[in-house]
Amino acid sequence: MSEIRAEMVANVWQVVAAQGQQVHDGDTLVILESMKMEIPVLAESDGTLTKLAVAEGDVIQEGDLIAVIE
Amino acid sequence: MPLAAGLRASVRVVVGESDTAPALGSGDVPVLGTPRLLALAEAATVAAVAPQLASGQTTVGTSVTMEHRRASPVGSSLVIEAELTEVDGPRLAFSFVAREEHPRIAREEHPRAQAPGPEVPVTEAPGAPAPGAQAPGAQAPGADAPGGDERVVGAGTIERVVVSRERFLARAAAHHPGPR
Repeated sequence: MSEIRAEMVANVWQVVAAQGQQVHDGDTLVILESMKMEIPVLAESDGTLTKLAVAEGDVIQEGDLIAVIE
Repeated sequence: MPLAAGLRASVRVVVGESDTAPALGSGDVPVLGTPRLLALAEAATVAAVAPQLASGQTTVGTSVTMEHRRASPVGSSLVIEAELTEVDGPRLAFSFVAREEHPRIAREEHPRAQAPGPEVPVTEAPGAPAPGAQAPGAQAPGADAPGGDERVVGAGTIERVVVSRERFLARAAAHHPGPR
């Protein structure tokens, strides 16, 4: 299981992947916005996206869970 | 040419009434307002890199440190020079310095500007360097030029990021959909 957590405070700009979807290492799951930049959050392994913990428009803090891949 | 440290640009201005703190709503002394100085410095940073950006790209400001050291009455002629000092992916760091080109040329023409010691108030952020001190990493372009310091009106650093203009506006609109 791979947990993907936020590395900084950010706004969730776009949710690209869907829960239950098969993803591959390097796939874009979510795009965050921080410091006026777009910051893609990538899958860190192959697997199934079993949990997507954020929604577009959310404000997330450093360390917050974004997604779980199993 | 790719974006690389060393790119420079400058802007010039003759301080007019519309540039003063009262006109900007930032103070009540009729000298160059600090917000106007910052706007000029930002304009110089934009100009420094604009020719090197791809079509559809622009830069937006994210961080500023600035010292506004000297008052500039209406009629003062200033040059504000910015230099790209660091490139880290989309993040750009600049330093800038503003100098009087012809110090106080307007004294006779604008007697109101002769009020003794019209200092521009500077609000310091906690931990900011004392006025007149060199901020860390704030080596401004040409700051070591001979005879330059006595004409320095302000100096500082600005950070910007390179973004897609279209996508940036789309994100901004999504955050602020406006009146319904």
